[in-house]
Amino acid sequence: MQDAALARAIAGSPHAIDAAAEAEFCRRFAPRVRLYGLRHLRDRHAAADLVQQVLMMALERLRAGKLRDPERLASFVLGMCRMVVMDQRRGTARREGLLEEWVIPEEAVEDPEPRVFERDRLAGCLEALSERERSVVIAGFFEESPCADLKVSPGNLRVIRHRALGKLRACMEAA
Amino acid sequence: MSAEFAALVDYWFGDLPREEEAAFEEHLFGCDECTTKLAELVALGGAVRAAWRDGAVRAVISRALFDAMKGEGLCLREYALTPGGSVQCTIAAADDFVVSRLSAPLADVRRVDLVTDAGRFEDVPFDAAAGEVLMCPAPAVLKRRGKFTLRARLLAVDDAGERVLGDYTFEHSPS
Repeated sequence: MQDAALARAIAGSPHAIDAAAEAEFCRRFAPRVRLYGLRHLRDRHAAADLVQQVLMMALERLRAGKLRDPERLASFVLGMCRMVVMDQRRGTARREGLLEEWVIPEEAVEDPEPRVFERDRLAGCLEALSERERSVVIAGFFEESPCADLKVSPGNLRVIRHRALGKLRACMEAA
Repeated sequence: MSAEFAALVDYWFGDLPREEEAAFEEHLFGCDECTTKLAELVALGGAVRAAWRDGAVRAVISRALFDAMKGEGLCLREYALTPGGSVQCTIAAADDFVVSRLSAPLADVRRVDLVTDAGRFEDVPFDAAAGEVLMCPAPAVLKRRGKFTLRARLLAVDDAGERVLGDYTFEHSPS
């Protein structure tokens, strides 16, 4: 089902909830909201909370027919993510009340099982990188922020990171 | 690396300009394939972080990563050596990492190579202002080893050739 049809199915059933459409909505958008949360909040628990809150608010508005252009469902959910994260940064809570009224499927909110990478293989692939590439990759993922003191310009750091992650992916896929 | 994956890497590490990031997020929210690829990148990052935390990987690290590791409460055993210096060293079961701080005159140095009994490691990260190279062997490997001596040499490399910055000796004993 396309996004627009999904939005119409949810909005078109004010008296009888379209559980299948709502479940599909959660299945489709939960991973995107979670990644948005991880990217902007850098915290798994905060990202899981964001998923729950955004899905609840989005479903509430969709059911009420407040999405004017169903073709823009993805933008609508993204806008809600931005608003909730902004509110969180301002310290404003919007979820009170909503939590009592809405039940989001647990499997949509929980972290999916991450892809498993074989540890020794990954260590070997990291070892195969140059010293600077390995430092950039480890620091980047450990700190989850740009590395400030590797004595390289931001542009050069980006080039090193691209090259290193390209090599790392290729090495892991060759396993 | 494909342009699409490069864009995902830039997005994840905050390397996109603000307007480009907003446009990319709009695309991401409507793209199942991009969502899957970003989730894979995030999973790879988690695996790299776990491999590093578990001591499976060695690296020459930046000061920022060193500070971040301390900030996370990891147990770091430190050895500070000056050129020509030697140290009796070990790693205890409770240690998460051993960090060897090799001081050297690095003010005008463009590239540093590290030479050990294990080989030559070119272009390692260094902190010119602090005059230090932070060497971090893989703790899991170190904990399995018996008594050994490791000799390390730092070389400054530029167009004119190379010169020795310092020699350092580690007399390792199991704890």
